[in-house]
Amino acid sequence: MSDTVVIKSSTRRGLRLVLSESADYNKLKEDIAEKFRASATFLGEESKGIEFQGRVLSDEQKLEIIDIIHANCNLSIVCIIEDNPELDKRFMEKIKKFIPEETMKQETVPVQQQMPYADSSTGQFFKGNLRSGQVLDVETSIIVIGDVKPGAKVISKGNVIILGSLKGNVYAGSGGNVNAFVVALDMNPLQIRIADTIARAPDNPKKNPVKETKIAFWDDGNIYIEPLNKDVMGDIRL
Amino acid sequence: MGEVIVITSGKGGVGKTTTTANVGTGLAMLGKKVVLIDTDIGLRNLDVVMGLENRIVYNLVDVIENKCRIKQALIKDKRYPNLYLLPSAQTKDKTAVSPEQMKKLADELKTEFDYILMDCPAGIEQGFKNAIAGADHALVVTTPEVSAVRDADRIIGLLDANDIRDTHLIVNRLRADMVKDGNMMSSEDVVEILAVDLIGVVPDDEHIVIATNNGEPLVGSDCQAGQAYMNICHRILGEEVPFLDLEVTKSFFQRFAAIFKK
Repeated sequence: MSDTVVIKSSTRRGLRLVLSESADYNKLKEDIAEKFRASATFLGEESKGIEFQGRVLSDEQKLEIIDIIHANCNLSIVCIIEDNPELDKRFMEKIKKFIPEETMKQETVPVQQQMPYADSSTGQFFKGNLRSGQVLDVETSIIVIGDVKPGAKVISKGNVIILGSLKGNVYAGSGGNVNAFVVALDMNPLQIRIADTIARAPDNPKKNPVKETKIAFWDDGNIYIEPLNKDVMGDIRL
Repeated sequence: MGEVIVITSGKGGVGKTTTTANVGTGLAMLGKKVVLIDTDIGLRNLDVVMGLENRIVYNLVDVIENKCRIKQALIKDKRYPNLYLLPSAQTKDKTAVSPEQMKKLADELKTEFDYILMDCPAGIEQGFKNAIAGADHALVVTTPEVSAVRDADRIIGLLDANDIRDTHLIVNRLRADMVKDGNMMSSEDVVEILAVDLIGVVPDDEHIVIATNNGEPLVGSDCQAGQAYMNICHRILGEEVPFLDLEVTKSFFQRFAAIFKK
């Protein structure tokens, strides 16, 4: 086995991949595949970040390498860590300026795995109930397997699908995407916000509402909630 | 120039939030411009009792952190256009604001409103200190139970120490039948222990539970609790109103039935 690739799995934040600077890129890819296949059992099934060292890579190359890793072992690479202490320090200073120490410890549900180049057509899952005071804030579309209770909030740049009852607040298309939609098996929200439009629950709710899957979507400055059927689904634009 | 009134109790569950909602609504019914501030950050519920939960976009912490203007965070009531609510944040905790910031906020609101009611959280920690920071007066709510009275006594002491001397007492959830049988402290007993002026006695009334669940304060309605709260509002405005006779008025049939029970 060659020494062009060295995996160091023990760094604090994730996986470090030390690549030879001189080796041919195609040869390097083969070596990476081989290396990860060999240590697949050792590395296990964790979700990790990855850090590249020793060689300057383009963004496409980085993504290609991550694909190779995914194909050859059970690791799940969730983000790329840029090793730039100067930049890190500057970010931390900026963040500290705006957020006091106390609030940094605030309880947000830890699923903010920022995928590289995410948009509304990629998504992730969250399993569990979101209770009052909990905020689930994601860059991608999100599927919640569980309930969103009153006082809880789901914020997504893409679409929100809730496999459970929605009784809290949802903010879909938080980046301003008016094509974003919200689907819930039991649609009973306090507030739904899509892009810059806010809709709120009626003051006198129906006594015994029918439990059915509904979709909330934006059209011409209004938010509409309708039963989810074929016609409505045909109008969905991703 | 408005007045800032803090509604506090020390013990939880004695009816601070219900009192805030009803007294605030009552004052608005009497034509005053009122704002209710929920200072229970992290456990907000005044908005639920007022039935305004679905209107919340910004909250107290957003105002304090200058993420929005006060006007944007104030929610206008469903029924009374001169009644507003400033909801608290649910995702933060009490340390998100400081007493100085609360005082500044109260002083700002004073210029525009006649009454600013602060709904205080239970306990005597940071949340309590925030709530009383800008207060001119205090309404101490207690129930006729030893634990609640003990906590109220402590609270009155703390209010004194913070130079809030204009303190009035509300005895909540009084049951006239139990008082009559000698199983419950009367409002006179509570006043004697606490040595502060009584401003109202509110009977234990199932209408309160119904109204709270519907998100509609019952002040001014013709049930006893509704009248008791309305009387408190009149007294806050400086009017002399006699205390309600809470003697349970049994109907003829009930009296008839009682004879047979013996």
